[in-house]
Amino acid sequence: MSARLHALGILKAYLGGKNEVVVETGNTVRETIRALDIPPEIVALVLVNDTPQSKEYRVQDGDVVTLMAVVGGG
Amino acid sequence: MNGYGGNILRVNLTTGKIAKEPTPPELARDFLGGRGFGAYFLFQEVPQGADPLGPENKLIISSGPLSGLLIPGAGKCDFACKSPLTGGYAGASLGGHLTAEIKYAGLDSIILEGISPKPVYLFIDDDRIELRDAASLWGKGAITVEKALKDQLGEEFQIACVGPGAENGVRYAHINHDYGRQAGRGGVGTVMGAKKVKALAIRGTRAIPVADLDAYRRAARNLYDACKQSELLKPWQNLGTTMVVSWCDEVGALPTRNFSAGSFEGGKTLYGPVMREQIVVTDKGCFGCPSPCGKYSRTKRYGTNVEGPEYETIGMIGSNLGIANIEDVAQINFLCDEWGVDTISAGGAIAWAMECYEKGILTKAETGGLDLKFGNVEAVLTLIPQIAKREGLGALLAEGTRRAARALGKGSEKFAIEVKGMEQSAYATHSATAMLLAYMTADVGAHHNRAWAITYDLQVGRELVNADKVARVIWLQHIRPMFDTLGACRLQWVELNIDLELYPPALAAITGVERSWRDLELVSERIWNLTRMYWVREVPGFGRAWDMPPQRFYAEPPKTGVTAGKITSLDDVNKLLDLYYEQRGWDANGLPKPETLKRLGLDKLVA
Repeated sequence: MSARLHALGILKAYLGGKNEVVVETGNTVRETIRALDIPPEIVALVLVNDTPQSKEYRVQDGDVVTLMAVVGGG
Repeated sequence: MNGYGGNILRVNLTTGKIAKEPTPPELARDFLGGRGFGAYFLFQEVPQGADPLGPENKLIISSGPLSGLLIPGAGKCDFACKSPLTGGYAGASLGGHLTAEIKYAGLDSIILEGISPKPVYLFIDDDRIELRDAASLWGKGAITVEKALKDQLGEEFQIACVGPGAENGVRYAHINHDYGRQAGRGGVGTVMGAKKVKALAIRGTRAIPVADLDAYRRAARNLYDACKQSELLKPWQNLGTTMVVSWCDEVGALPTRNFSAGSFEGGKTLYGPVMREQIVVTDKGCFGCPSPCGKYSRTKRYGTNVEGPEYETIGMIGSNLGIANIEDVAQINFLCDEWGVDTISAGGAIAWAMECYEKGILTKAETGGLDLKFGNVEAVLTLIPQIAKREGLGALLAEGTRRAARALGKGSEKFAIEVKGMEQSAYATHSATAMLLAYMTADVGAHHNRAWAITYDLQVGRELVNADKVARVIWLQHIRPMFDTLGACRLQWVELNIDLELYPPALAAITGVERSWRDLELVSERIWNLTRMYWVREVPGFGRAWDMPPQRFYAEPPKTGVTAGKITSLDDVNKLLDLYYEQRGWDANGLPKPETLKRLGLDKLVA
């Protein structure tokens, strides 16, 4: 039972430069990114299977979770 | 001159004289274009003490060396004048397609001087340049006028026009273009209205000379490829600036009820994905844009079409007014666009009035019977036309928050959320010291355009005050406005994260002059110090006090949300300024030192 987490832009640095890691299911996105030492407050957008979701979304088997940081604003 | 239209157009509205002069090469060398040209002409030509609404003020409309070329988002146009809102420098940036036509018409800047004896619009079709009667357009809404002129002249003409707010002297009237893009801040539209110029209609057909065509093609291709290959492109294009609504709400930066808090209990109804699902019809981009972030929307309830709302508008006339419905925000946005007033300043002024009402400082006797509580949509829908027409309470709010608070008194100055007289845009800065400093020191007043540092606050520690943070703000104040100087959009760099180093080869291929980012930062620093000296020249006693933030951000911690109880101390505010002045080469009162001006080659200009 696993899902994939994909970090975009500057968030890659938190994955040791990797684009993607495998994560456990059953946790919220917030719990998942905390476990990866990514500060939740710098993640601006969470997409799950290309659909925007909140950080309280509970990760399910087969999900592709994509994280995007706010870089520089409008 | 490679990369330039080659001419400055002067239009004396008092006499009707229209004249072109060659763009001075040394001006292009030292100030590049766009924002640089605007700041230079303003400082050099508008006499000290000029009335912002009088004939001595000038409206300077400038393209940059990248404008109109195959560079991502090369549609940025700069509007500069003495601000009727702040009394200092006004510089507003407009997207869309206008600046490309300016270049194709062989122009770099258009300088509107004097005041026309009757309403006119400026017609430019290459060398055919005329002031045309605009009596039939006067009094009409900005979106309506743009459509009327497009219908009359043809789609190839790019239109920039003002609404009734500008005609009636609202101090934060904007200039509309492309059905909902604006040069929004500081009252640049007010100055155009005061000059009795209802619109600009421009078409050009000339080619822009380029120094090295092959190198230009390669450099341009590299820029576009980087944009298209960015993995950030798809989510950015999907939501545009509305992406940050939920984030700001989460981190306590979403202005709520006149910036009394940074998180809004009704915020979820305003989030980007909700807006996308409920009202967005299509994406909309500016000239040459590979990542169209504009959202064109239609409201079912009101049956109106509007570009946006953008994040800033959602913050300022949504959460900051206690309004929790995206259709209502879109409708208020539409009214601001049509009546011709800046959504950010209008939102700030109305939020201040709502707080006055809830505190009993304003009563129904002054509001004309409006129940001006936070969240009252109908009251806001009524107030926007009143502001534009200067009727009832609208006459007070049309003056801007600082003047309105000073006129009303009764302690309302304490919650006037502005710096230098400009209403703060949509980031609550109770606990975000870099963003607070960015607002305190922006050269037009409290606007986010110059430095957007709030993510940096979150990354390094939002309450931290140190030299690195200050240096980051200054670096942003040099890099971001450089895009407004070059005449291209910064968002491909900011949001798609493309490499800044892709730009200098393109600029060199176009102009034939090699410039590194270090060179460009020096030009930006020159412009920054020139606009600072404009404030020094125009505002008696200008100095440190003008850089102080609204009291709310150092004396009133929010009671709700994630920033509840958090506040930047007054000591830290002063420490931020001390560090900032030191790094800028300014004295303790915030005035550029003579050696700083000399290093930047400004000593003779400002003498």
